[in-house]
Amino acid sequence: MRLYEYEAKDLFSKFKIPISAGKLADTPDETIRVALEAGLPRVLKSQVLTGGRGKAGGIKIVKSEAELREAAAALFKLSIKGYPVDKVLVDEVLNISQEYYLGVTIDRANYKLVVIACADGGVEIEETARTHPEKILKLSYDVDEDFHSFDAIKVAKFLGFSGDQIKAFTPIAIGLYNFFKKYDAKLAEINPLVRTAEGKLLAADARVSLDEDALFRHADLQSMGIEVRHEEGEMTPREKQAQEWEIPYLDLDGDIGMFPGGAGFGIMGNDFIQYYGGKPANFMDSGGGPTPERLAKMLILLDENPQVKAIFGARFGGISRCDDFAKGVVMFLKDHGLSKPMVMRFTGNMWREGMQIFEDAKKEDPKMFEKIEYHGIETPIEEIAKRAVALVKEVK
Amino acid sequence: MAILVDKKSRVIVQGITGGAGSFHAKRMKTYGTNIVGGTSPGKGGSSVEGTPVFDTVEEAVKQTGADTSVVFLPAKFVMEAAIEAIRAGIKFIVVVPEHIPIHDMLKVRKEAVKYGATVLGGNTAGIITPGQANLGIMPDIAFTPGRVGTVSRSGSLTYYIADTLTSAGYGETTCVGLGGDPVLGSTFDEILWKFEQDDATKAIVMAGEIGGVYEERAQDVIKKMKKPVIVMIGGVFAPPGKRMGHAGAIVEGNMGTAESKLKILEEAGAHRAKTFLDIPRILKSLSI
Repeated sequence: MRLYEYEAKDLFSKFKIPISAGKLADTPDETIRVALEAGLPRVLKSQVLTGGRGKAGGIKIVKSEAELREAAAALFKLSIKGYPVDKVLVDEVLNISQEYYLGVTIDRANYKLVVIACADGGVEIEETARTHPEKILKLSYDVDEDFHSFDAIKVAKFLGFSGDQIKAFTPIAIGLYNFFKKYDAKLAEINPLVRTAEGKLLAADARVSLDEDALFRHADLQSMGIEVRHEEGEMTPREKQAQEWEIPYLDLDGDIGMFPGGAGFGIMGNDFIQYYGGKPANFMDSGGGPTPERLAKMLILLDENPQVKAIFGARFGGISRCDDFAKGVVMFLKDHGLSKPMVMRFTGNMWREGMQIFEDAKKEDPKMFEKIEYHGIETPIEEIAKRAVALVKEVK
Repeated sequence: MAILVDKKSRVIVQGITGGAGSFHAKRMKTYGTNIVGGTSPGKGGSSVEGTPVFDTVEEAVKQTGADTSVVFLPAKFVMEAAIEAIRAGIKFIVVVPEHIPIHDMLKVRKEAVKYGATVLGGNTAGIITPGQANLGIMPDIAFTPGRVGTVSRSGSLTYYIADTLTSAGYGETTCVGLGGDPVLGSTFDEILWKFEQDDATKAIVMAGEIGGVYEERAQDVIKKMKKPVIVMIGGVFAPPGKRMGHAGAIVEGNMGTAESKLKILEEAGAHRAKTFLDIPRILKSLSI
């Protein structure tokens, strides 16, 4: 879960990391008032949950009141990678003499926390790591290990600091590491860490991603107004609807609605459709043991998507049984109705019972099943994928 | 033979008095799994359908000789439960719940390495040695004793692969679910090496997906292995930057794309299967 720059900086300052003196504004008028109060020049920084703000025109230095008024109005009309700007950090303009990078993250392959430092800050660190790995220092620690002052001094020397700069840097590095551990972070970056012409070191920007699965032990975040939010990227209205229903769902640009069981086959099924010449309209995951209501909602997302021409259903009865699954589909057919052709397959736990539920419902109301073709264990899943691709062509 | 679990494994269920714990304890027992007990703090001395319940894992180990555990507890209690089991001498732990905090899993992993224990999950469907033991939530119907091992990040793919192997007459030695969480207790390379040392296993199917680094970690071990490895990676056509259900399944730049994973593993000597039906085709071509 990504934090806004101002939120990350607030938290950093609690760990004795010096930050630039900024104040948040959430309207153009408020921006103007705050900036005038603090005195010009100021830098106005859009607060959005994505990178590349500078390039998108989301950061503006204003020197005069006229510039301020113009920039404040313009920023709040801006949308960066789909994120509308509704908050602006009115920050001090720093007299920068050098920019550094300092970050902490998790090395999943080796199960370590990693402190990363580079004397070329303010740039894409991933790019530097690729092109000039020798410019980057990486120190690994176990999750329950401390980061000591002597570790910080090692980093400080790598960055080229000496004398009082080492003393100023040490608490910043220790603070960042302690913050990372205390708040269950996945990523905590100061980029750039700035050395000013006056010789001060401070965090000019901050990027933090927390582990949403660990929020239960950080109730204090909620009191700061930091709540669970989507990781990154713009959500479509359908994705937002799915999120409200707690269904993992993504819109894709094809025309075959995907109605699978678990996430693993959700991902692989999308590949299968493409191998056979089709294009999926979505990714979706039912989760373990979905209720009939949940299944009905999943089908609503597909049936009401005008892009969807046909639906590909696959259910491997595991923790969720095929008969329960069939009941959910029948409930949907009765309550909502299906307007698209659908081909699906049952296998695994209770697949015969699932087929039987369909047979019985079909006898009762044959019209309801006009658009559904269903198969059991004897038809390979590849055949179902091919059939879904063919159905789209029939519709067209 | 089998890896990690067989009919002799003495299994306890941590969280046996909970809804999922009691339901799956019964299922596992019905399959023939040697369930010797369960734990639930404060409920020691009671029993769940004939299975004795203990307050602590230590007591369960002393009284039953348990060596294996399956955890059915809310995610926030998993770290404590897993470390308790490891320190009580349990050598193999299956973590079924998902959404375990990442820092917690790092701690569990460290403890497991220190005590020489193996942890699967979080977010795993479990592990099954067909005909002998089933730990977790996998449906029995897909599995038959045989000669191919499988290891997968996803439950649903594990079922489809086993279904394919069973239909083609191969059957499975052991099917291992690594789990879908971003930080996992075990990695592909570790499980592949266990299969390499198992006489009954003639080939291994490895199913991974976009995101993360665990698939790439397998390259060195595949180079050393004498047994063939067939690899499937889901998400060849996944859009970059999007998260697909499994927390680990996100593509960042060129890191962790399905194609980059496949390329690395094929270079190491693995055989690429695009669909399930490719698996028996490849096995036949290798005269297995």
